Amino acid sequence: MRTTHQVRPPAPKPTAGPRIPAGMHGHVALSMLPALALFAVFFLVPLVVLAVTAFSRWGAGDFTFTGLDNYRQLFSDPVFWKAAGNTLFYCVASMVIQVPLGVAVGMTLAMKVPGWKLFRTIIFIPFVISGAAYALVFSMFYNPSYGLLNNLLAPVTGGQHDWLFNSGTARWAVAGTFVFIIGFVVVVVMAEVASIPTELLEAAEADGASLMQRQLFIVLPLLRNIIGTVILVRLLVDIGMFDLVYILTSGGPNDATTTLALYAYRAYVHGQWGYANAVGSVILILGATLIVTVRRVFRIGERAL
Amino acid sequence: MRSTKTVAAATTAVLMAGALGACSTSKGGSTNAAGEIEITCATCQKSTTDPFLQFNFEAAQRFNKANKGKYHVKTLQNANAGSADARLQYYQRLALADDLPDVFQLNNAEIKSLSSTGKLHDFAPDLKSDAKWAASFQPRAFEALSGKEGQRWAIPQQQDPIGIFYNKKLLAKVGYESFPTTWDDFEAMAAKLKNAGATPIALDGDWATLLMWSNLIGTQPAGRDFLTSEIATSKDWSTNKAAVKATERLRDWQAKGYVNADSLSGDFQNAASKYLAGKAATVPNGPWFVKTNLKSANAAPGLYDNTEYAPSPGWDAGRGLIVVSGAGWVSGTSDQTELEAVGAFVRFMSSTDEVVKQAKATGSNPPVKVPAATVKAAGLEPLSSRLVSRIPRVAQSFPHARVHAPGGIDAAWKNLWPAYVKGKIDTKAFLSRLATDSAAGS
Repeated sequence: MRTTHQVRPPAPKPTAGPRIPAGMHGHVALSMLPALALFAVFFLVPLVVLAVTAFSRWGAGDFTFTGLDNYRQLFSDPVFWKAAGNTLFYCVASMVIQVPLGVAVGMTLAMKVPGWKLFRTIIFIPFVISGAAYALVFSMFYNPSYGLLNNLLAPVTGGQHDWLFNSGTARWAVAGTFVFIIGFVVVVVMAEVASIPTELLEAAEADGASLMQRQLFIVLPLLRNIIGTVILVRLLVDIGMFDLVYILTSGGPNDATTTLALYAYRAYVHGQWGYANAVGSVILILGATLIVTVRRVFRIGERAL
Repeated sequence: MRSTKTVAAATTAVLMAGALGACSTSKGGSTNAAGEIEITCATCQKSTTDPFLQFNFEAAQRFNKANKGKYHVKTLQNANAGSADARLQYYQRLALADDLPDVFQLNNAEIKSLSSTGKLHDFAPDLKSDAKWAASFQPRAFEALSGKEGQRWAIPQQQDPIGIFYNKKLLAKVGYESFPTTWDDFEAMAAKLKNAGATPIALDGDWATLLMWSNLIGTQPAGRDFLTSEIATSKDWSTNKAAVKATERLRDWQAKGYVNADSLSGDFQNAASKYLAGKAATVPNGPWFVKTNLKSANAAPGLYDNTEYAPSPGWDAGRGLIVVSGAGWVSGTSDQTELEAVGAFVRFMSSTDEVVKQAKATGSNPPVKVPAATVKAAGLEPLSSRLVSRIPRVAQSFPHARVHAPGGIDAAWKNLWPAYVKGKIDTKAFLSRLATDSAAGS
């Protein structure tokens, strides 16, 4: 009788990392102390302070535990929801415009098209300019009196449109300042494309796959890990977005551009430090949720090949 | 070998501790090596861009010279000496650490906020014990710098009438040889200026717009009451007729195109640049505008000579002027020895000699009464001096809306005003939210 019993290979033993030699445990623990101390002082302690004071009325003059009062006030404040909505809007704008555009340009430049080095440099320059300087440039770009945008659109719109201070266009105008800064995505994607084995693409070409097919069905899927990573980085930047909005609109008009970080900052400036930390904890939770979600969706860390 | 390592580790630990100790700051004693009582000043540093800071620096040097062997003002380099939001945060943190400078300047909104820490010195007893000094100040000089229970949180730095600068040449072009005296006439002039291709009023959606709002409120019969008391206590400003009337009229100027297109930016330089380029006919601001803008390289040639400074037009009950002491010297020390030096310093800064020097250096006006002959002899800025001389002749004088309003009014205004102007919210919603948001941010 023939059995269908499968013979499985023995399960691999758990891989043993470098072992700490006997008698060295104390020394290793001691050598880790400075790092642990720095971690505790600069990360753990602030995190605990944030978590604890979020349940207090804390200002320059007083400190009182108030339980969930800050969160009750937060969730009943329409401006908070507006700020949360705007923050997500900026996150989505990055995901929908910045990342796909950066990936497309990165993949194109990775094919070493003529002038690719020059393009890469030009595209990367805005990424290294400080956010504050960039915001100032754009506040002039959008200026209704002398801004370049209105001058360019004058034949079409015919008037002086106040892009940043009109509720209908303000959020889009703010998003317009950063969604086209694709330098980071481009450079990272180019580096990843360079690491794809050329044999794969040559084999596909030998099988008759066109350039477009090779890009769409071989290169793009292999970029999954890096696309997930740049989305993660962008989301974490956008979720704490502050300087651009603060300089361009201060969150107005009527909170049309306010972000969670700016909302927290306002509370902080006005001496409501406990309330500001409650907002900070919401940002933290939102950030953690996004990290987990993006990591799962893009299976970041799993091998593509 | 082991002992060598132990010694090395111990030495390293001692050196690190020493280094950390050297990095830490200490208020130290109040007496310096020369035996003088030393106090720290956080707004007395040299500045090439801020005439007030530069004047303070020079005044502190004069004080040190005059009080050699007795008191000494030590200048702290403070990156936050001049900016608004960052400045308040900076001092709030210092207050929390019980490390406020011994003497520094704040504006009235910052004083309101910082006084709640309980770390500011109350000058009321000092003024009470020195009646002559107290009587030397202008009437209402402490209005913006006082607490609800009579505290005097600051010694006034200046007292300025805030009027409207206007370009005589542009006004003459549309047939106005003098500044309009009523708002109706002001609007008629604005319409003519607009037709002539000029910007009638330069505003910024922040400071300058709030000045015009204050003028429009203050020149109504019940306006002063609103600006001095109701604005601080009312839960809903939309129930105040003067505020409603003023708000709607100001909004209408925007709708009619009397105001520069970038008037909602919240950046005063957008308003100033229109006036300085000779394109805008009027701009509201304080007398320091002469020094910081009109006489700067940014001003069009001859603009200063073509500029005059006027009180606000009125509705029908006469013209008005914002008169305000918006900033003052505060102290963050509670040490009696240091307070003695602080007292000497603020008395020195409010002496006739120093306030006249300050007026010459910065364009701001003295917070203390100065004899007319002294003012004349000092040759103060004529535009500003002429307006000062008109204070007794205007029908109404009133504070800027910022003085008594909750501290969050600036941020709330900048946020809500553009939406109101663009018709996204109505007057009632605008004023109600302005009141609640200002209070929430105070």
